[in-house]
Amino acid sequence: MTGRRRLGLVAAGATLLAAAPLSAIFGSWTWIMLAMITLFLIEGAAVATRTFRFPTWAQGLSMGAALLLALTWIFPSGNEIIIPDPDTFAHFADLIRQAGEDTRAYGVPVPDRDGLHFVAVLGIGVVAIAVDLLTAVFRRPALAGLPMLAIYSIPVAVYPESVPAIPFVVGAAGFLWLLVADNVDRVRRFGRRFTGDGRDVDVWEPSPLAAAGRRIGVIGVLVAVVLPLGVPTVNGGLLARWTASSAGPGGAGGSGPGGRINLFASLSGQLNLSTTVPLLKVTTTEKEPFYMRFGVADVLTENGFGHQSPKGGALSDGLPDPRQLPASGNAAFDEYSATIEVTKDLQQNMAPLYTYPTGVKDLKGAWSYDPDQQVLFSGRNTTREQKYQITYLRARYTAAQLQQAEPLAANDPLRAYTATPGDPTVETEVARLTAGKNNDYAKVRAIYDWFSKENGFKYDLSAPSTGKASEIADFLTNRTGYCQQYAAAMAWMVRAAGIPARVAFGFTRGTPGGNGVFNISNRNAHAWTEVYFQGFGWVPFDATPTAGVTGSARSAWAPDVDRPAPVASSSTGAAVPGVDSSGDPGAANGANRPEPGTNTGSTTGPVAEETSWTGVWVAAGIALLIALLLVPALSRVMVRRRRHAVTAPAAPTVLSATGGDTITDITVTGVAGQAREDAHAAWDELIDSMVDFRVPVDPTETPRITAQRLVRDLSLAGEPAEAATLLGTAEERARYARQPLQGAELTAALRRIRSGMSVAASRRVRLRATLLPPSVLLSWRLGLAEWSTRAAERLTRLRDALTRFNPRRLLTRTR
Amino acid sequence: MTTPTWGDPAGPLTSAEFRAATQAIMANIEQVIEGKSATVRLAVAVMLAEGHLLIEDVPGVGKTKLAKALARSIDCSVRRIQFTPDLLPSDVTGVSVYNQETRDFEFKPGAVFANLVVGDEINRASPKTQSALLECMEERQVTVDGTTYELQAPFMVVATQNPIEMEGTYPLPEAQRDRFTARIAMGYPDPRAELAMLAGQNDHDPLNDLRAVTDAATVRRLIETARAVHAADAVQQYAIALVTATREAPEIRLGASPRCTLQLMRTAKAVAALEGRDYVLPDDLQALAVPVLAHRIIPTADAQLNRRTTDAIVAEIVHRLPLPQARTNPYDTRDGRAPYESRGR
Repeated sequence: MTGRRRLGLVAAGATLLAAAPLSAIFGSWTWIMLAMITLFLIEGAAVATRTFRFPTWAQGLSMGAALLLALTWIFPSGNEIIIPDPDTFAHFADLIRQAGEDTRAYGVPVPDRDGLHFVAVLGIGVVAIAVDLLTAVFRRPALAGLPMLAIYSIPVAVYPESVPAIPFVVGAAGFLWLLVADNVDRVRRFGRRFTGDGRDVDVWEPSPLAAAGRRIGVIGVLVAVVLPLGVPTVNGGLLARWTASSAGPGGAGGSGPGGRINLFASLSGQLNLSTTVPLLKVTTTEKEPFYMRFGVADVLTENGFGHQSPKGGALSDGLPDPRQLPASGNAAFDEYSATIEVTKDLQQNMAPLYTYPTGVKDLKGAWSYDPDQQVLFSGRNTTREQKYQITYLRARYTAAQLQQAEPLAANDPLRAYTATPGDPTVETEVARLTAGKNNDYAKVRAIYDWFSKENGFKYDLSAPSTGKASEIADFLTNRTGYCQQYAAAMAWMVRAAGIPARVAFGFTRGTPGGNGVFNISNRNAHAWTEVYFQGFGWVPFDATPTAGVTGSARSAWAPDVDRPAPVASSSTGAAVPGVDSSGDPGAANGANRPEPGTNTGSTTGPVAEETSWTGVWVAAGIALLIALLLVPALSRVMVRRRRHAVTAPAAPTVLSATGGDTITDITVTGVAGQAREDAHAAWDELIDSMVDFRVPVDPTETPRITAQRLVRDLSLAGEPAEAATLLGTAEERARYARQPLQGAELTAALRRIRSGMSVAASRRVRLRATLLPPSVLLSWRLGLAEWSTRAAERLTRLRDALTRFNPRRLLTRTR
Repeated sequence: MTTPTWGDPAGPLTSAEFRAATQAIMANIEQVIEGKSATVRLAVAVMLAEGHLLIEDVPGVGKTKLAKALARSIDCSVRRIQFTPDLLPSDVTGVSVYNQETRDFEFKPGAVFANLVVGDEINRASPKTQSALLECMEERQVTVDGTTYELQAPFMVVATQNPIEMEGTYPLPEAQRDRFTARIAMGYPDPRAELAMLAGQNDHDPLNDLRAVTDAATVRRLIETARAVHAADAVQQYAIALVTATREAPEIRLGASPRCTLQLMRTAKAVAALEGRDYVLPDDLQALAVPVLAHRIIPTADAQLNRRTTDAIVAEIVHRLPLPQARTNPYDTRDGRAPYESRGR
């Protein structure tokens, strides 16, 4: 296969890899099958036209035709026979329009929709044609990176804050593959590479000529990594994280991508922040508002509660009225309105709401509402610094009403909310608790009441927070945790009892600021359980002890289990002036509490500690960096010290036979052997010093000539010149004479010549020789090159061995 | 190669005696050949290496004078052959003539039966005559009519030839060239030496004043001393690498022979001894590479078309070949290329 055709195939493969980031947008993998079919057709057309040596324009045209055919076959209008006709194009236009609507209607990840698939396949096809032409025809594979980047820019546009890294790595790998394939082809066109001794060089074996490229590459990567750290506008950089560690919830505050946010991780992140960060300011006409809610986890698997991407129509389509719905029609509703102001620190694509919103105003961007999850979400906008008004209906139930709720039919779709991974511990516990309870509410209450102090449950924020199913089950035994364990455990148990339940995420009431204003901070982040009662909808139950949660609230149908009801109402009411919990018939047990003193009072404590820790980290990082930079210098010093230790004259034994009056065979004694080693060590040190001071080293030179050249080129005079000659003689005799030079002060000579070289060198060279000795770098590079050469050789051998099993070889033999 | 005449009982000289004797020879020759101490030293080294010397240069630069000066400095038998086109092999080797008195054939030794044979303008003789020298130069013996006659020791042929004038000459065959240990060029003297020459040779030829400063026996001992010089493994490897490089160089059709390796090492030992060393250095080999290797190799037609002299090719090999020693850096920092990558010319 010619290089050109092979390059075309590589281009197609690279395009497919570069399309990997699209996986972040689509919910399933259907698109990649379609893209593969299309790429196959396009590349087939390219290979065919290239085989028949069509001109460039014909190659491009054939690929375009292949794309058109592929699109026609995959997305037929139904009337055409293989060949597209005018109807087909009208159909395509429809698909594109449909895709436009879908992009508005769906949040990411999007489901499989024809329109979206059409646009994706069209885009990938066009990019494939561009990449193929640029690579195989114009031989400019670097430029092909631009269309590939266009694919990558799609998820970037959809997820403004954080883009998944792995698809990008896959795409980048595709691009690199393309570049490497092109360069290998380029080298191959020169012919075979081989060494002076006739050994074939593998295409993957690095050439010393490539050292400059490697260096540029390393510098480029370093700059690309380091530079963004220093640019303050880039979010999520290391530096920003360091500096922001005391200023906000950082990434934990829900800045994660919409569909992929781990609500549990986000919650524990919020609660475990050492500082208090204001997130919301709510002004409501409701006197005793219940929790503000933004997300829900309604899938329970081995991995614990998970969160489905919300689905629903645009906000502009209007919101459902719960009074009209049979699911919640039995409840009593009061209408209120609220203004919600979000600070810059709450950045997520699910907007906090009071439940049953009936109208949302002034929310900027494209937002959709999921009536099942009761979640207001957006594919690309966030709540950051938004201010919006909502009107909402507050449902009121009484325990008596809920007792009347009918059990769910066995085939009701809501039965999906009763699925559990099946844990024997949980099930026996639930069976024990619900034994003899004859209605759903009684069962739920039995489970709810069980999460009490008397049963040993203890609130502790330091509990592990992976959210795994096993951990939730463990919570039932060790009984120490915080809201997420309480909420998840209760939801599981209620599910185990056959009643739909899920975990809701949001914020507690917050700190009242008077006039209906509530300030909500990260301390108010919370999770609770919602249980479905037929005719009443999702009814909240908060099993977490009120003591642990700032601004928690209790309701008539779910009173605080840890305190006797009559006493609690008065004591908490007195404790919190300005909030009259007993005045609200719905809230039997308001527990609006100020921020715990430990947090507000000593805010500076943790902050100061945090900054000092940051300082330590920064200092440690800098120290590490300096240490890393000093490694070559230190390594050089160590080597020199070792050699000096060798060359230091151990015993001043001078053999009188040196110089040899009579030329006779003299056996090499241990002393002579030692002298030889000394001379070699000194010579190695001299060569390394020459490398350090950028004095050329020539492997064809004898020691004598090297010494002479040193004296001549560096204009050494006096002691350094003598030292150079001495070292040259010592090495020469050590290598070639019967008797090496003995008793010479090689260490002193080395020192002298080093100072001589240092004087002759420029300041830059001197500095480099001390801080970043080229000799050390060179030896590292050589080691690396040798290693990679050996690796390449091994690879070649392996490949040769594998070729032996190639079936093609057998075919050739039989022919 | 052992010759029975080499069993000299006197044994090697001490370094002081060696230095004195060789200095005397060189100083003696330099009375005649001024400003050419390196050439003189090489000539003496070839003698100490039991080799033969080919002096090749344009007319009038003192080729014959050097040969004669060397011969005169040593008190030994010297024969001179003027090679002419009509010279016969028997003139060189000798001939059996019928002796009336003894009624038998008697061998009349030719010109080669001497310690030092000066062959002037050797390329003017026919190949037939040139070939007469083959046996005696390599084997130090002459076979005439089935009888082999040993030559005296030391035995050295110093030949001269003129590379410019080609008319009426017969280039030396490869076998003959290979027998010459070294080919040296005299080169023009520098102006100062030429001035001294004018002054010195104004009224008489200084060659006539030359006295022998040593004798054949001493030369034999000198040769034995030079043989004892130590050549380390690394040096031997380097010599082999040099010779091998000529065999593998792309510009060379015929590389140097193993005999050449032997002679290179022997001459290097002699040079080392002349410098007062008891060990050979790669430097010695480098210095000897052109004189010892260049006249033996045959460049390819391409190289000849490119006017690449064998001297230049050998010099480049020397320049390119790394020392057989892994101690030094395998990468040449001068141009950052690995040794296996050929260097630009």
